[in-house]
Amino acid sequence: MTAQVGDRAPASETDLSGDSSPPVQPVLDVHDVTVAYHRKPVLWDIDLTIPTPRLVGIVGPNGAGKSTLIKAILGLVPIASGGVRIFGEELSRQRRLIGYVPQRESIDWDFPVSVLDVVLMGTYGELGWLRRPGRKQRAWAMQCLEKVGVADLARRQIGQLSGGQQQRVFLARALAQRAQIYFMDEPTAGVDAATEQVVFDLLRELRQAEKTVLVVHHDLRTVSRYFDDVVLLNMRLVASGPVEQVFTPQNLQKAYGGRLAILEDAGEALRVQERSA
Amino acid sequence: MRKLILRPILYPLATGWLVAVCAGCGDAREGATHDQHANGDTKTSAAIFGGDYPIKVTCTTGMVADLVRHVGGDQVDVTQLMREGVDPHLFQAEPADISALNRADAIFYSGLHLEGKLVDIFSGMRRKKPTSAVAERIDESRLLDVGAGLYDPHVWFDVELWSVCISAVSDTLSKFDPPHATDYQSRADLYRKELVALHEYCVSEMATIPEGQRVLVTAHDAFHYMGRAYGLDVKAIQGISTESEPGVKEINELVEFLTTNGIRAVFVESSVPDANMASLIEGCASRGHELERGGVLFSDAMGELGTPEGTYVGMVRHNVETIVQALR
Amino acid sequence: MINYNTMIVLVGASLLGASSGLVGAFAVLRRRALAGDALAHAALPGLCLAFLVLGERNLSAMLFGAFLTGLLGISVVSGLRHTTRIKEDAAIGIVLSVFYGAGIALSSFIQKQTAFGSKAGLHTYILGKTAGMILADVYLIGAASLFCLLLILVLYKEFKVVAFDSGFASVQGWPSVLIDLLLMAMIAVTVVIGLPAVGVVMMAALLIIPAASARFWTDRLGPMLGLSSLFGLTIGAVGTLMSASFSRLPAGPVIVMAGTIVFLVSLLAAPRRGIVARQLSARRERRQMALRATCRALYELLEAELPQVRPLEFDEILSHKSWQRQELAACLTQLEKEGVISRTAIGAFLLTEQGQKQVVETVRLRRLSELYQHQYGSFEGTLDELDAGTFIEELPRELVATLEEELKSSGRFPAAGAV
Repeated sequence: MTAQVGDRAPASETDLSGDSSPPVQPVLDVHDVTVAYHRKPVLWDIDLTIPTPRLVGIVGPNGAGKSTLIKAILGLVPIASGGVRIFGEELSRQRRLIGYVPQRESIDWDFPVSVLDVVLMGTYGELGWLRRPGRKQRAWAMQCLEKVGVADLARRQIGQLSGGQQQRVFLARALAQRAQIYFMDEPTAGVDAATEQVVFDLLRELRQAEKTVLVVHHDLRTVSRYFDDVVLLNMRLVASGPVEQVFTPQNLQKAYGGRLAILEDAGEALRVQERSA
Repeated sequence: MRKLILRPILYPLATGWLVAVCAGCGDAREGATHDQHANGDTKTSAAIFGGDYPIKVTCTTGMVADLVRHVGGDQVDVTQLMREGVDPHLFQAEPADISALNRADAIFYSGLHLEGKLVDIFSGMRRKKPTSAVAERIDESRLLDVGAGLYDPHVWFDVELWSVCISAVSDTLSKFDPPHATDYQSRADLYRKELVALHEYCVSEMATIPEGQRVLVTAHDAFHYMGRAYGLDVKAIQGISTESEPGVKEINELVEFLTTNGIRAVFVESSVPDANMASLIEGCASRGHELERGGVLFSDAMGELGTPEGTYVGMVRHNVETIVQALR
Repeated sequence: MINYNTMIVLVGASLLGASSGLVGAFAVLRRRALAGDALAHAALPGLCLAFLVLGERNLSAMLFGAFLTGLLGISVVSGLRHTTRIKEDAAIGIVLSVFYGAGIALSSFIQKQTAFGSKAGLHTYILGKTAGMILADVYLIGAASLFCLLLILVLYKEFKVVAFDSGFASVQGWPSVLIDLLLMAMIAVTVVIGLPAVGVVMMAALLIIPAASARFWTDRLGPMLGLSSLFGLTIGAVGTLMSASFSRLPAGPVIVMAGTIVFLVSLLAAPRRGIVARQLSARRERRQMALRATCRALYELLEAELPQVRPLEFDEILSHKSWQRQELAACLTQLEKEGVISRTAIGAFLLTEQGQKQVVETVRLRRLSELYQHQYGSFEGTLDELDAGTFIEELPRELVATLEEELKSSGRFPAAGAV
């Protein structure tokens, strides 16, 4: 296994920007990916290319395979057919460039770790085997915590935080990874308005620092406000590309089928988009 | 119309069946407690043997089997359930053993709860064929009381006591197979003489152990009859049954005892693992007292069939020789 | 002066306890505690097979065999979980009973069919023979403990991240499955080494109880590991000493009972996470809420007549909100003690000057909080924070000012009465 754990990222110590030379290969290339769960198809023939750094929102009805897509790209679920390339290389060689914010439900909140402990885990990648996080890593972790606004909670055990605070901690952990591509699974689900604001301010900053962020998003009304590109998913790839071009009533209809409530949401989403256009 | 006929038949039948089952269960339990004290022959089948010779006899321990072989001679074919190295206290009957018991024309076992897990089976067998607990022939006054209404079952270590069991076998066989009664009696007398000689041998040999060394330390408490008969003080690391586990205090007390009394040897048994022996030896060593493994004694089982230790007499001789050699 | 045997057992049992506590902590956190139990039971056939193959009782060979079948059992659990629809608890149950049954069958076979059967002493591995420990056993336990300790020290962060969030760890590039297997191997080693001492049945207790107890006392991983180790060491020592002081107390079971006592004490007495502490804190919170509600009631009863302040009757207050007689009486007594109210000659309740200020502040925070909730939706704090409205202090000045304006315009902004 050619793990990249242990390699130093070319990033500077004090800010989020990494290597800013223009990428030769597309950031992400998903080719013909099919994923099944217990013999049932969840994703079928997904073809997706993200050529340059941008903010991408992944939307679709429940069970469309949005989380599965992220997990498949990251190697957390097996791919039945097809392949994924990150900056032209296989996943196993590019792990140092990846940041990940998983869904909140998958965490054991009773685990005896503090907020700082969790964020420090983001630095484990650059430390490699055997080395312990030291003063430098601690300082960097505190910076990431400040960025998301929960630095004063550093010593708290994670179970004692509110949902929004927990989400921010995991965001901080991903930041600590100093990645080039970030994958986030519903980072604003069930959080308060303030946290949602923090999340998207952060995404904008990352975007300005030439990072790519793929976000599984649950709220159609905010798609055009937050993202450059959108991916419409419903087991198949319905459409993907710049929001203005792809986020249309026809595509939404195709993705969400005849579901009335969703269509109302979609309708609302489009009206918002038109208003802000 | 059908209901009118069936109901007066079915219900009494069902009830009667239930009652019979309960009575049967009660009986079995009763049988178990009866076993312990009285002569195990009460309520046993009074049938007479009418099949083909040799008589199929199933026995539990090697000691009992050896006894039956000596008394029964060619008239019997003995099946022994517990082989050498098997612990009778822990022995549980498998289906193969049950069929051996079912096939038998007569059953002999030691008794006094030695075969602790087979008691219920024997009460069941008792109804169908002669089932005799040979050690329960011994008068209670000669047995060692261990409290709670129970007696120490390891009677075969006192050769004189074990001789009493000869009559249990010969009487049962004679009643069961009258045509050969005289054969059984004469063989029994012969064997009794052999055991008398053996007993005297034991007494004289054991007497050669110097006064201060007359202590026998083994893994479990099986040798009290031997101690009483031949003048030895018996100490064990575990209790009567091999199922109990010693605490640290018991180990310490033993080490103390061995060291202060200068006992030179402890004995392991063929059927009981010497789990705690090593710790005794180390403990004594730490106090500057050298403790040895005195040798292997046969306690609840005999040696391999075909070897001298595979017979009762051979086994006893082996034990005596081993003990005397180590303690002299 | 402790004598030799006691010392041997003391050191051995304490080391075993410490090591089990350390390794068991990870097992418990990783929700693998029962897998440790399955491992102990799955080790039995390995012991028997090694004995059968060699024909004699060779402790190292038997322990190695135990280790192999133990790991095999755990792998089967994993395999069942990943390739079939069987869930973890069922998988563990299956492996535990099947392997253990096979072990018992083998053990009976050995005892009956072979000439040297009982020499194997296989049944001592079921309940253990702690008191019979010798120096060689202690060395073995010591070596295994040292191995586990070193492994955990060296790979601390690796175990930590995989135990906490194996998905994230995998993405970061850690071989989560391998690290997990390493953890299970450590548990297997500890279990197998402990078998001769405490036996299959009680090994699980030694793995689980110290760790579960330690969890009550701390919220951090490092201290939890240390405490778990300490608890394990303590119960090993206490069990040994008790077995050495009193007759007929086999050390193994007494160690487990000591563990149970440690657990019960932790369960009840631990600050914050213990049952007693939780009850007390819940009760305190209820009391605080009741006191605030009483203050608000007092204000609301007088609101219309302000700035006049008159004494209030007990029944008047009681009927204002539907609460328990006793609770109200207790609250009023408490408020009197704090100087918020005083009693008049006829037993009515009168707000003091200090009391007025306090009551006004309580109502102000409460009404601001309600307004904020109404306008801004979600709230992410604790019930206590919400009820007391303390989070209002944290809000930006302008926002608070805006809310206050709204209250004033609707006539609901509380003001103290002039006395």
